[in-house]
Amino acid sequence: MTVQLPLEQVHPLAVPPALRDLQSRGVIHPVRTRVGHPAWLVTGYEEIRALIADPRLGRAHREPDKASRLGDWMLFSGPMGDFDTEHDDEARVRAQLQPHFAPGRMRALRPRVEALTTDLLDELERHGSPADLQEALAGPLPVLVICELLGVPYEDRDEFSKLSRAAGDILDPARSEQGLMELYEYGKRLVERKRDEAADDVISRMLQSGDLSDDEIAMHTMMLLFAGHETTVSQIGLGAACLLADPGQWRALHDDPSLVPSAVEEILRAPSLGGPGIPRYAREDLTVGEVTVRAGDLVILDIGAGNHDGAVFADPDRFDASRKDSPHLTFGFGARYCIGAQLARIELQAVFADLTRRFPDMRLAVPVEKLQRSPHSSTGVLLSLPVEW
Amino acid sequence: MRIVADKDVCVGAGMCALTAHDLFEQSEEDGTVVLVVERPADDRLHLVRRVVDSCPSGAITLADD
Repeated sequence: MTVQLPLEQVHPLAVPPALRDLQSRGVIHPVRTRVGHPAWLVTGYEEIRALIADPRLGRAHREPDKASRLGDWMLFSGPMGDFDTEHDDEARVRAQLQPHFAPGRMRALRPRVEALTTDLLDELERHGSPADLQEALAGPLPVLVICELLGVPYEDRDEFSKLSRAAGDILDPARSEQGLMELYEYGKRLVERKRDEAADDVISRMLQSGDLSDDEIAMHTMMLLFAGHETTVSQIGLGAACLLADPGQWRALHDDPSLVPSAVEEILRAPSLGGPGIPRYAREDLTVGEVTVRAGDLVILDIGAGNHDGAVFADPDRFDASRKDSPHLTFGFGARYCIGAQLARIELQAVFADLTRRFPDMRLAVPVEKLQRSPHSSTGVLLSLPVEW
Repeated sequence: MRIVADKDVCVGAGMCALTAHDLFEQSEEDGTVVLVVERPADDRLHLVRRVVDSCPSGAITLADD
């Protein structure tokens, strides 16, 4: 039977019941995407992990106009790149960007991330209980950090944040396209400005390296912003929601801050329900489970499903801040492993160490079932997170 | 057993340094793997196998020699 996507999400922090049903039947399933195109949905951890790193799949399609699509938004819903050169192209971009995310760079950024977190929490304290944690912390922090990293001037950050949200809209293709165009234009203006006033930031360093055109730098800027922004906004809000939904775990973190790193890995695993999934196109015929996938077929890797596969994660629906060695797939696997993974970890660790330390009595101000995730966002960002203390 | 780390394949994910920081480090320049210990003690092998399995790019392997 062919399943229609998206699967209905009943609880804001739990995988859709229909997904559990699919997982009990196999690891790969014929589906129709939101726009009615045929595709395969992969729901088994081992298969997702293998396929996400498998060069026989790619983002490009030999005949892009004929390719199935996840939806009609701009980024990551259809084929991208040149079929003949995609792997080499990606390796080149990776090599260009990777030095900017090296451990030394990230370490240098950590105190800034901590200071920005402290400022936002000072403000939250002044505001007093009750408050919307999504608006007060989860929303603003990642923008501030990415602005710091890229060297986006302070006065531009609201605009930057607005464009990024528009670009990521999965329900409104016109808004998404407009947002992306404006981000790119903004990136180009910023690159021109950095040419005159170099500073200690990624754009300035890319310019100084001399092997990238202004256009490429603007494109990288836009992608880094886009990839690093809403994903983290989403994780902070959802992570806080998971911890607050079980006051014992919030308290445990407060009492024992050494739990923060494992709590962060669990925050990366548990509420990441995969959104629309990672789209890949088979570059050749291949076998997955008992199915033959044909060259050109759309294969959707459901990271959320993999992260909740009971064969790998004991009691997968339970949020457990002390879970050890959790091999979640939230940052992907293989050559395209998230370049910002360390930065995301730094941000999340700073947030949850500080939040639980300073607000030991924080609790949800609404029942957890009432929390709503935005249907416009591929990461299912929370619309609000009312808390009191 | 000898640990082999392939810098050309490495994507700088840092899982090795995170899992076994006394055996692996990351280069300051580009985050790629730096092997600190080539021949780990036998009681560390289980940890190395976990590193091999968790490395996203398959840059870490164990050789028999």
